[in-house]
Amino acid sequence: MKLGLVIDLDVCVGCHACAVACKQWNTSGTTGALSDYEPYGKQPSGVWFNRVRNFEVGDYPNNKTINFPMSCMHCEDAACVTVCPTGASYKREEDGVVLVDQDKCMGCNYCSWACPYGARELDKVSGTMKKCTLCIDRIYDQELAPEDRQPSCVITCPAHARHFGDFEDPNSNVSTLVRERGGRALMPELGYNPTNKYLPPRVARPVPTDDVKMDLVSKVKNWVNKAISK
Amino acid sequence: MSKHNITFEELQGNSTGFYALVGILGALVAMGLFAAYTMEHHGHVITGMDNQVVWGLPHIFAIFLILSASGVLNVASIGSVFRKAFYHPLARLSGLLAITLLVGGLVVLVLDLGRPDRLIVAMTSYNFKSIFTWNVFLYNGFIGVVGVYLWVMMDRSLQQFYRPMGLIAFIGRFILTTGTGSIFGFLVARSAYDTAILAPLFIAMSLVLGMAVFLLVLIASCVWGKRAMGIAFLERPKNLLSLFLVAVFYLITVYFITNLYVTKQHDLVYFLLASGSIYSYLFWIGYLALGTVIPLAILYHPIVGKTRNGIIAAASLVVVGGFSLLYTIIIGGQAFPLEIFSGMEVISSGFFDERAYHPYVPSVWEFMLGIGGISFAMLLTVMGMRILPFLFVPSSLSAIHLSPEEID
Repeated sequence: MKLGLVIDLDVCVGCHACAVACKQWNTSGTTGALSDYEPYGKQPSGVWFNRVRNFEVGDYPNNKTINFPMSCMHCEDAACVTVCPTGASYKREEDGVVLVDQDKCMGCNYCSWACPYGARELDKVSGTMKKCTLCIDRIYDQELAPEDRQPSCVITCPAHARHFGDFEDPNSNVSTLVRERGGRALMPELGYNPTNKYLPPRVARPVPTDDVKMDLVSKVKNWVNKAISK
Repeated sequence: MSKHNITFEELQGNSTGFYALVGILGALVAMGLFAAYTMEHHGHVITGMDNQVVWGLPHIFAIFLILSASGVLNVASIGSVFRKAFYHPLARLSGLLAITLLVGGLVVLVLDLGRPDRLIVAMTSYNFKSIFTWNVFLYNGFIGVVGVYLWVMMDRSLQQFYRPMGLIAFIGRFILTTGTGSIFGFLVARSAYDTAILAPLFIAMSLVLGMAVFLLVLIASCVWGKRAMGIAFLERPKNLLSLFLVAVFYLITVYFITNLYVTKQHDLVYFLLASGSIYSYLFWIGYLALGTVIPLAILYHPIVGKTRNGIIAAASLVVVGGFSLLYTIIIGGQAFPLEIFSGMEVISSGFFDERAYHPYVPSVWEFMLGIGGISFAMLLTVMGMRILPFLFVPSSLSAIHLSPEEID
């Protein structure tokens, strides 16, 4: 198996629900707790396995905001696994999930230097390096209903922008999405072969907000507004 | 012209000054241990480190000490490998410093780990694909090789092994520094490090820092130990220091020029050299002005360059410059954001990388740990000199035909 995520950038609304659900699940999971630093201070921060970037593409009026959730890509040739001196970072042969053995990690932080995606999370309280586990303690939990055996972020996403499955199965949901929507890996040129894929945003027509041709109702509303403001 | 005729002695070490020095160094070591305990107790949350800058100020101290350890052995190597009799009297001190500086650096490195209590894991569980693992072997191997080298130097019945061991130690120190430089040189993820020139740059830096530290320790041991040493005795080492300074300047210039050749690296070079960040100041003022230009001016000055105080000032400034350059490359390189969305403007981010660069402010605990490491190395050096004969007897130098002005 080659388990991973497909994230649809066309429908991700950047609500951060995936990040919050991830934090909630994993802080009480096998790699928890995920430490918080100054949670009630001016600049609260902490360990988050899943974070969201927002950036602009194009110039107005042809611009678009892209919300880009990022976590560990579970690379096939993971640099973090290569550089880890103790072998604490490892890739599971059975499902391709990259994990950190919290009992072997001595906190040298060298994996953080090597990961080009910035997916490593330094837990400054436990002194070890942590990262997305693909909710390994959830996806194999036989106590859960089959539909719940998915990463927390996938179940939580209100826009259904996140999909979980086996990339080795050509007919799985994730393989089909990647095939049909032209899913891509992030920075494939580095050769780490990230498992997670992103579905690119569909090309959108510009939505002009100036010089809009108004219909009769709008013209009347406009006239009334002007009259009242006088 | 045999080194057999040079005699060595221990540091007398019965003066008030000696005990004061040991006391001060011991107090600084205790301060470093207290800092390490505090960081272990509270976690790295009390340091300035974050997800982006994961190696902070203690690593600058540690790498400074490790590079110096490698470079300081150069003095012994010139004597044994290149057969320069002038350096024979200095070889033992060179070997001692190589071990003590490396131990000091490793202590800082280990105590700055997130989980120093798991050092045993690093010693029992290996991933041989990792350059970091190879460095564990290189560091331990280097201490062993230099230990045997010192033994061969001191045991006259083993004189036939002196030159072969010198050669092994010479090769070992190059491999050691190549390994240290390669920790950074193999990282394609970070813009500042994806270049093979870092290994030779670190070798050159080790030669500079090692020679500067050696000169400072040599002068201190002679002045404080009231042992005769003419200023001309420092002539050749200080000329080597000048040469190594030029070599580092050349390599760092090539580093930046080659980065400028690659368009996508322009932002990095701008950030490190011209953005007005702390790293720009450290490079231009700390490394270039204080650590290179002024020391070179002092060392080549016909009058000042031939005074003991001039050489002390130059060597001290070289140390300052070395720290500044290491800080610029190692901390500055981490502070520069990852290039994930090239050409895109991140408007907000849960990774906090919408800023131009990641701020890093070292905490006092990190500084204390670093100072503690240097003090530990110096304390080991002083104790080593007190216990075993590492210091040459000035009156025996005539055996290697040093000219009269080289001995007071």
